Amino acid sequence: MDVVVYDERQATIIAVEGSIDALTADDFLQAMQAQISGGRTRLVADLSEVSYASSAGLRAILVALKESRQLGGDLRLAAVRKGVYRVLELSGFNSILKIYDDVETAVASYDEVAQA
Amino acid sequence: MFQFLQRKQEPDKFGPDPDQLSIRQLLDDSSVPISIKAVLNLPEHARQRLLRVLLPPHLLARFQIKPMTWRGPDGDEHVRVVMRPESGLLRVEARHAGGAQDAFYSVELQDNALNGIDLNLLVLNDPMAPRFDTDFDEDGRQTQFGTLRRNLKEEERAMAAGLAPGQVRSGLQASRDVFQNLETFLAMMAHYSVFLEPLTYASAWVFERRGFAYVRGHKLMDDIQREFQDGGRLRKALDGSTPFRRPEQWRTVRGRAWAVHDGILAEMDQTWDGLRMVKQIGQHAGANTFPDAVY
Amino acid sequence: MINSYRMTRAAELGSLAHFRDFVEEVCNAQGIDEDTAYDLKLAVDEACTNVVQHGYAGMNPGSIMLDMTVSEGEVEVRLTDFGHPFEPSSAPKPDITLPLEERSMGGFGLFFIYETMDAVDYVSGEEGNTLILRKRFEE
Repeated sequence: MDVVVYDERQATIIAVEGSIDALTADDFLQAMQAQISGGRTRLVADLSEVSYASSAGLRAILVALKESRQLGGDLRLAAVRKGVYRVLELSGFNSILKIYDDVETAVASYDEVAQA
Repeated sequence: MFQFLQRKQEPDKFGPDPDQLSIRQLLDDSSVPISIKAVLNLPEHARQRLLRVLLPPHLLARFQIKPMTWRGPDGDEHVRVVMRPESGLLRVEARHAGGAQDAFYSVELQDNALNGIDLNLLVLNDPMAPRFDTDFDEDGRQTQFGTLRRNLKEEERAMAAGLAPGQVRSGLQASRDVFQNLETFLAMMAHYSVFLEPLTYASAWVFERRGFAYVRGHKLMDDIQREFQDGGRLRKALDGSTPFRRPEQWRTVRGRAWAVHDGILAEMDQTWDGLRMVKQIGQHAGANTFPDAVY
Repeated sequence: MINSYRMTRAAELGSLAHFRDFVEEVCNAQGIDEDTAYDLKLAVDEACTNVVQHGYAGMNPGSIMLDMTVSEGEVEVRLTDFGHPFEPSSAPKPDITLPLEERSMGGFGLFFIYETMDAVDYVSGEEGNTLILRKRFEE
């Protein structure tokens, strides 16, 4: 599993490629936590290249979600694929997270926050 | 298929009396597993019929031993049975000639603490092949397959001759028949699995090929495989510092086994210890820790 | 027509992807739809993760044996290990209606197994522990 991080206007994108399971979820979480501890708390997880996630992936999302929100930021998901969405739905995470069809829309959602 | 897997755990699965199994009990319920101890306590002739299963007829025939009597053409006895009912231990040895130093076939089975059976020993020796005295050191003390002490000179000769650690002679190419008979014996006793602790890396690999999975030690085998690759700690330690650590030994099962026997796992802060394997009778697990291996 | 498939690997996290790929291959070979395949991959992954993290905890990890049998419209998966028995029904189930602040990190693995599979059974004895999962699919 690979993680690429870059900034886009107000947001920081964490783009993941591969599967997020108990082996790889820590790398995903650490990438997000590195941004949060660096003060970049408006996160977008680009999951367009993630075809599979298990509860370990959910746990990473939940931890980063709590930490970023505690600091006034957020973790928003972009381009969630069918199987991963199922996992979010089964767990009820889809109702506590903001999920967008693509990265641009997710990034734009932070623009509104900044202007408000 | 896996009929036994539907069976829930029952407290007295051995029936009323595991120590003494009468002919009546043997006849009443063929699904009750019988321990080695119970087999040893059977009347002699009933027991003998069961024990015959452990000696494949074709293997005996190679040495002109009659499968029914276990005697040779001269009438001499060629098979020795060691029975220790109080420890649930059974050992059967077959020799090509009465006074031969080594049995060409030895098998030892023992009841374990969990109502199962362990295969303690399975050795096939070609009695006509040269002998390498790795089982005794220069002072004549037993080496216990090189685990207690080592006879380095003989081990080097054995390795050069193509043997694996623990062997004193090359094998007989009969292990498939022997395993089938062993499984048949266990099935007759209504056991669904057999357990063992592999003596060497080479034996573990052989048992994998025979369909054993790991109760303990699968990860260790994977780690060994990884560390023998380019850049791995074991590969680096194949530096010729001893005759058992030549650089090319990573390529073969036997080569690796000698390096492991020589203590190379210390490079990974590990020892060859704690492995335990299991075979489900009639099933092949398909474990493969050394893909495309050359023996 | 019954088809059976088997894979045995070490109980370590690196094996999870291999088990998932195996499930995927079997589903492809048997013409099983991708949603069912995902559910099977998820259940197998979660079960194997439990075996790795709890079943063989504190030990030299042994094997996980995965058996898949596909018959008329039903898949049966058996996962056998030789570690500590780990009774699925004994673990806590997460409350998925809780708001974020009250959510805990654990418990979802088993929850997913129960949510995605039609039947879950567990048998444990001297010959190992076996989790039996069944799922129906449309042919």
